[in-house]
Amino acid sequence: MNGPSLEATPQQQRALERFYYYEARLLDNRQYQQWLALVSPEIRYLMPSRVNVMVDNRARGKEEMISVDRELEGPDSLGCPIREEGYIHLMVRAERAFKINSWSENPPARTRRIVGNVELVGQRGEELSVLSNFHLYYARPGGESCVYSGQRRDVLSPAEQGYTIEKREVIMDYANIEVPTLGLLF
Amino acid sequence: MRVSELVNEDASLVSRRCWSDAGVYELEKRGIFRRAWLFLGHESQIRNPGDFVQAYMCETPVILARGMDGGLHASVNSCTHRGLPVCRADHGNTKRFICPYHNWSYSVEGNLVTIPQESAVANKPDKAVLGLKQVPRVASWRGMVFGCFDENVESLEDYLGDMRFYLDAFFERFPGGIEFLGAPHRWVINANWKLPVENQLGDVNHGAFLHSAIIPREAQDLIEELGFSAVTRAGHGATFRLMPQGAPVDEVAWGMEGMGGMFGGAEVQEYLREIQSHAAERVGDIRARMKGLTYGIYPNLSFLWSNTSFKVSHPRGPGKVEYWSWAVVPADAPDSIKRVLRTNYSSFFGPAGILEQEDSEVWVQQFQGSNIDFADDRPYYYGLGLGEEAPHPELPGLVSVTANEFYARHFFRRWRDELQAVEGQS
Repeated sequence: MNGPSLEATPQQQRALERFYYYEARLLDNRQYQQWLALVSPEIRYLMPSRVNVMVDNRARGKEEMISVDRELEGPDSLGCPIREEGYIHLMVRAERAFKINSWSENPPARTRRIVGNVELVGQRGEELSVLSNFHLYYARPGGESCVYSGQRRDVLSPAEQGYTIEKREVIMDYANIEVPTLGLLF
Repeated sequence: MRVSELVNEDASLVSRRCWSDAGVYELEKRGIFRRAWLFLGHESQIRNPGDFVQAYMCETPVILARGMDGGLHASVNSCTHRGLPVCRADHGNTKRFICPYHNWSYSVEGNLVTIPQESAVANKPDKAVLGLKQVPRVASWRGMVFGCFDENVESLEDYLGDMRFYLDAFFERFPGGIEFLGAPHRWVINANWKLPVENQLGDVNHGAFLHSAIIPREAQDLIEELGFSAVTRAGHGATFRLMPQGAPVDEVAWGMEGMGGMFGGAEVQEYLREIQSHAAERVGDIRARMKGLTYGIYPNLSFLWSNTSFKVSHPRGPGKVEYWSWAVVPADAPDSIKRVLRTNYSSFFGPAGILEQEDSEVWVQQFQGSNIDFADDRPYYYGLGLGEEAPHPELPGLVSVTANEFYARHFFRRWRDELQAVEGQS
């Protein structure tokens, strides 16, 4: 993504932010079943792994030399992304929170996320490409608290409740992974 | 504290201090990691001259590279001048490793090539003796590259011994062998390095309990009914199911019960059946019927056959581990199939894995329990199935049911003996 975002109308921008705030509230309130209703049955939910790559000498002095995307082993690569999931994965993740024998959710973590930098960056027919950033504070009884930081690259389609998430790619800002799990719903 | 006080004779009792004591950890470095063959990487990651990957031998950073001579070289990633790492990338291809501090540069084999400052001094240093510290023994078996800091260590083949029988049940199934995908997922966990190892060495018994939200009881019953645990030598172990003769191909074939087989579509399923249809001619009848679960290679390499992932538990002190894991796929599978098969690892294991998020949490909690005071008269009980393992007519090693914790007792007997061998030495 290069250049400024599309010129969204104030209504469009407001609708996107309203949707993301609602989604964040559902996730922080552990209303995962309601959250699942925001997700397309065909969703692609991706998290590339992040690699320390060699400097490409030919790119020296240019922005591409240190571009974020060079560090990502994504779904098209022959590396190994952290997550390549569909609806069934998200359903399993959502449902296990409601089982008393899901030991890593029991007692559940306390989370609070701030979503911002919402930018409409593309539009194809009714589908919108939207970027957003998040900081997520995570505190789990018996473990250390931590902060997750990342970017979401979404494809949304219009729906009754605002939008449906058709695709989400989560770019995590980690060097070594020092959080208890990257398996949360971001 | 004496090592003999940590693990009793038959290793049915294991002290909490084995997991948490800083002095014990120093003994582990000298008694185990200084002397054992340690996994460095797979040849599929370094096919061409100049290719390299990062590795660790305990806490010591190592570069594993394919030299311009085509050979394998393992160099300690620390400049001979001031000790900085000379390589920062996870993997890549290069002619030189260059220290950022004063630009001493090294060949990919680890030889010192240039000292920029030497032209300004009269006495020229002898560059021939100032290369990167070399790992003195490097060897490869089936593409798996290991290194050892003890020049006098036995051969890698002897070290692996009969574990090769079980590893080949997987490796030799595929005409082109296997391939490691991408950079490892590197994950810091506040746990002792031995618990991930023990978990993957033979502990399938926690499945129906810790993972009961995901693994149904019936699936675990089937594992236990058909399951075996084998120890080929203390510290090396395998658990697997031996499917009945004549079982349908879809029940025996590797991968069919994973994400690829379940959701990968007809192309992936056909590929998996095709591999299984040649399994008996490639690895023999009994190994063709094997469906592996967990494997462990002493001291800290694990292989999770069921989700095809290799893992290394790199210690970072008694209470911290840097856990590395890779997805592994058949090398000659089409790229589209490799991409499907790797999700059988990443869906369940690795840093976002639905199962591993439960494992890693208990590993952290076990360390906390091992680090408490006033409970040293309650060592951990490792006596389940004591003495119930026995030789098997067709399977190498000692063999038993999966509930028998002999895999862990053997590990701790070897661990104790190797620590005792260096105890009192400086």
